[in-house]
Amino acid sequence: MNSIPIRHKWEPYLWLLPSLLLMSIFVVFPIGIVFKLSMSDISKAGIVGSWNSFANFRAVFRDPAFGTVMMNTAVWVVSVVGLSTLLGFITAMVLNQKFLGRKVARSIVVFPWATSLVIQASVWNYIIKGEYGNLNNVLLNLGILRGAVNWRATYQIEFAWECGVGIFVTIPFVAFTVLAGLQSIDEAYYEAATVDGAGFWKKLRHVTIPLVRPSLTVCTVLNIIYVFNSFPIIYTITKGAPANKTDTMVTFLYMRAFYDNQKGAATAMSVIGFAILCVCAGAYMVISMRKEER
Amino acid sequence: MKKLTALLLALLLALGCCAAFAEGDEITLDVIICQYGPNTNDWFLGTGMNGTNFVDKFEAENPGIKLNLEVVSWNDVYTEVSTRISNNNAPDILNIDVFADYAAEGLLLPVSDYCPEDLFSDFFPQFIEQSVIDGTVWAVPDLASARAMWVNTDILAEVGVEIPKTWAELEDVSQAIVDFYDGEVYPYGMDMTTDEGQAAFAYFVWNNGGGFVDEEGKLCVNTDKNVEAIEFAIGLVNKGYTNPNPATQTRYDLQDMFGAGKLAMVVAPNQLPTYLADKDYNVNYVSAPLPVNGDGVTPASVGVMDRVMAFRDDEYPDQAARNEAIGKFLKFFYDPENYVGWVSMEGFLPAVNSSVAALVESDPSFEAWLDVLGGCQFYPTADPKWNDTKQGVIDVEQKALTGGDVRTLLDELQAKLEG
Amino acid sequence: MPMTPDAVRRANLRALFAALLAAALFVAALSLPIYEFSATVFSKKSGNTFVGDEKYQAARAEVEAAAAERAAQTGAAPEIIETVTERTNSKGEKTSMVAFEVRETMRRTGWQFIASGLGCGRVLLAALICVLAALALLGAGLAGAMDVDWPALPAAKRVPRRLAGALGLAALGLIPVFMMCCNLDFSRQIKLAADGFPRPGVEALLEKLDGFLYGGTAGGDVLKLMGGVGYRAAWPLWALMALLAAFVFSAIIAADGRPGRALQRGALYAFIIALCALILYPYYVMFITGFRSNAETTDMYFQYLLPTKWVWSNLSDIINRGVPRYLLNSLLLSTGATIIALACGIPAAYAMARMRFRGKKAFLGFVIMSQMFSPVVLLVGISRLMNALHLNDSVLGLMLINAAFNQAFAIWLLRGTFVSISSEMEQAAHIDGCNTVTAMLRVLLPMAAPGIVTTLIFVFINAWNEYTISTVLISTAANKPITVGITQFSSFNMIEWQYLFAAALVATVPVVILFMCIEKHLAAGLTAGGVKG
Repeated sequence: MNSIPIRHKWEPYLWLLPSLLLMSIFVVFPIGIVFKLSMSDISKAGIVGSWNSFANFRAVFRDPAFGTVMMNTAVWVVSVVGLSTLLGFITAMVLNQKFLGRKVARSIVVFPWATSLVIQASVWNYIIKGEYGNLNNVLLNLGILRGAVNWRATYQIEFAWECGVGIFVTIPFVAFTVLAGLQSIDEAYYEAATVDGAGFWKKLRHVTIPLVRPSLTVCTVLNIIYVFNSFPIIYTITKGAPANKTDTMVTFLYMRAFYDNQKGAATAMSVIGFAILCVCAGAYMVISMRKEER
Repeated sequence: MKKLTALLLALLLALGCCAAFAEGDEITLDVIICQYGPNTNDWFLGTGMNGTNFVDKFEAENPGIKLNLEVVSWNDVYTEVSTRISNNNAPDILNIDVFADYAAEGLLLPVSDYCPEDLFSDFFPQFIEQSVIDGTVWAVPDLASARAMWVNTDILAEVGVEIPKTWAELEDVSQAIVDFYDGEVYPYGMDMTTDEGQAAFAYFVWNNGGGFVDEEGKLCVNTDKNVEAIEFAIGLVNKGYTNPNPATQTRYDLQDMFGAGKLAMVVAPNQLPTYLADKDYNVNYVSAPLPVNGDGVTPASVGVMDRVMAFRDDEYPDQAARNEAIGKFLKFFYDPENYVGWVSMEGFLPAVNSSVAALVESDPSFEAWLDVLGGCQFYPTADPKWNDTKQGVIDVEQKALTGGDVRTLLDELQAKLEG
Repeated sequence: MPMTPDAVRRANLRALFAALLAAALFVAALSLPIYEFSATVFSKKSGNTFVGDEKYQAARAEVEAAAAERAAQTGAAPEIIETVTERTNSKGEKTSMVAFEVRETMRRTGWQFIASGLGCGRVLLAALICVLAALALLGAGLAGAMDVDWPALPAAKRVPRRLAGALGLAALGLIPVFMMCCNLDFSRQIKLAADGFPRPGVEALLEKLDGFLYGGTAGGDVLKLMGGVGYRAAWPLWALMALLAAFVFSAIIAADGRPGRALQRGALYAFIIALCALILYPYYVMFITGFRSNAETTDMYFQYLLPTKWVWSNLSDIINRGVPRYLLNSLLLSTGATIIALACGIPAAYAMARMRFRGKKAFLGFVIMSQMFSPVVLLVGISRLMNALHLNDSVLGLMLINAAFNQAFAIWLLRGTFVSISSEMEQAAHIDGCNTVTAMLRVLLPMAAPGIVTTLIFVFINAWNEYTISTVLISTAANKPITVGITQFSSFNMIEWQYLFAAALVATVPVVILFMCIEKHLAAGLTAGGVKG
């Protein structure tokens, strides 16, 4: 083990202290405030009243839109995390090959990661505008389309676009985490597998995936959290319209808090979301760590 | 000699400090202004007011009052204001559209506390009426706009139809346009977005003899007339007579489509010509009254009015001085010398009499719009449930767009508003 | 896998034969009608008309006269299509609209395109030249492709191989360009001109088109006639593309002798090119739109792919509207957040990597938990806290918040880096009498520099891109970071796309460059992060 001797029992905690303090004050404390608010009456103008024994939570569960929104959130998280993991994995496999211009390609793949989500979302919002968006412009001027297409004909399509943008901005993170894993794999494993007569798929299943799994686990947990909490894409492109049909939980609670002035319900929803995340991310982590140990 | 100079300098400095200290009881007003257009920021904070700006000019003319003025976009203003209120950090002066929630919470100062008498009598009375709750005036209007239906005359002439005056004619004209242009031109612009969907609600219910409130002024959204009106509006969308995405295409998208000649009719405010000219659009158009259902209904034009209000700050030691400072701010703002520039900059309509003459002189078309404004109906913004109503009707529209039944939805909304 | 000289010769011969065949077919395909036109030579619409009434008769007569004239000119038999749309309006009156069209179908071969002098003809000619040149290089016995992963060859042989491959690929790429040029030449440009948006050079084009489609008979009416042109690529065009692909692949096979591998490499490149194109597309849009004029950003006729006039003054406009100030704030905020995050994160990561203590797992859990609340969700709480600390509306407050929200990621990355470095040196330093702090500073940190740089840039970029907290916390314009500052251009009452994207570009470029700089370390840093410790 790589440890060094410790002089006092409390020494490690001293090392942790700055970080612990910073997070306690600026992350944990607001969490506490949110928990407290979720059980208080909050007036429309935002004045906090007294404890109201879970009335906010009851209001959330009674809200007919809540079901739709939870469904959307599930679709959003599963599709974005799932597809971006798959596509990111493929991208990483490709970027790990030797080819002409590999350096350039790797640099380009980093781009979406380095760009603010608000900006990405605004650009895509402009791209898919049917009346004057750039997608129509390019396709018409390149001669691929004859007439302008309404790229957001129904809300289902709009939601699909939002998921697409979500996947688009998530791929680089997955790709580079997996790439990192791939690069740390010893060539000797593959050579051994080749000697054993293993083909591409066998090597993938028995060498690549098991060895990449640790990086993939951490990355997927972080992704679940980030994607679940992702706000600017949906807020910029549809604002949840029509009638919450494209809302996810985070945009929904933002609208509840700041458009409908129902901060009580909104904070209650944050707490619910927190609980869901804890369960999902926790369960995923436990399951994959067990697999690793095996 | 050098020492003497130094001493003198030190003395002067000390005196200066004292002077500064003596001025230390100057008052700072936190002001939030909404961004009405690209020039708002420049006018208040940059160089848009003939080389100077509102804040500098005000502070020069009113020593002892400092302005901490901020221009906030409409996107963020509700978020910001509600966060500041819940942090006990409300602005002193706020420019926004709603006020009833704040008044109901007891956060606002009555206008009579700070508004000078002569200025108060200068406001158009029908505007002041819109800001009264239980006999107290809580806010003053800052500007207004009136809406009308704008019609692309070239399109109608080419198709060979007249400007529709009734809903039936509107449908005929729409069908003719759809046939003629094979879907390349949308007949009617419909905005049912989360931003401003309540406007579409108003355009149709008011022109069907319905409304947001009943005869006693109580909120009542599920009348037969309202149901009929919204069913008609949704019908227009479903028959393909409107822009394709009413739930996400904002009025500005519609105005762009209108300017590009892709939309034949759109309901928009009086500043549409300014907007179209700014973007170099080249279409021929006229304004017309909104179509009504049947011959018996008078066309209702829709007025939109924003407000200025002052928040309470009970911790401030000298309330009288604070009120006076707020009064001075208003006085300065509504001074024709400043106000005319503000109103005309974005093509709005004024809220005070004293500026009308100067505005009409600068642009004669103002006069006609002032008449229109006189007959406008306004949203019932004085109702403390207005915000719920507004979000509610938008929700109803959007649900109806995705296949909901209008009557059921409106009944549900009414129950929610009463409950 | 080295090949015997004999095998190479055989592979080359095979490929050469395939390439020659492909080229011959390419030339032959040009003689087939690759495009079909169904041109409306005359059209008329008449609203509020009834079949048989006076207005209808007049229109009909006009149309028939036009068709007869056309027939006299070209000898072809144009057909007249009449579409009647009838309906009853709300008053019970019947109205109808009649649309007449005079149509003619014609076919054109590739050679005719080349002879026409149209832009697309020139592209087709260029494709032909590319194919022939590549063939010449192959024919010199130097078959090859442009890939790097080929058996080592002397430079003298590599260069022509790559050239031949490049020319073949260029020819392949020219076919889509040909289709695009066709579209621009004989439809879009004409339609736009007919709608009243004439482009420069349209006059010369009209003349050529008249010669190409109507044999010079249309004269001044080309504009009107072409307004209704319909056309489609006939099968020989697709065959051309297939042949060219065959040509390129045969060239690759020539160099390697393994068709399966050639396909695999082809797929690899196709994937990479498609991926890069997709990723760069939004940036292209940002760039193009950021320098358009206001009117052009919402052009609903999609007239121009690129701005007609590059409005560089958009940049100076956004500078006047406070963007430098926002950039400065962002720089300050990100730098501060990075310093704080590292100052707190390095000791914590060090303890996690190097020390054994109770509660290690609990701390890890705590770190992950702290990530689960999105800033959006915590907005209300954060703003209350900042208000209590009097950090509202200050860049310092944002620094602290950003540093706190980036702790988890920073600790994760740093701990991984530290774990991957052996502690022997530090232990030696300990024995030499250094204390833990000095050992870390002097020994570990220099070795961990790449990992620390990666972390540093991560935190910097996250802080630079943060939006939601800043929107709510910052109210004074002078304190806004760039992400919040640019929303002034997209307020819901009017989106000024050109300013929005110009500012977005200004905000994005520095970060992208930063990220590209660490790309090399990125994978390394993440590798370290993923290692279990």
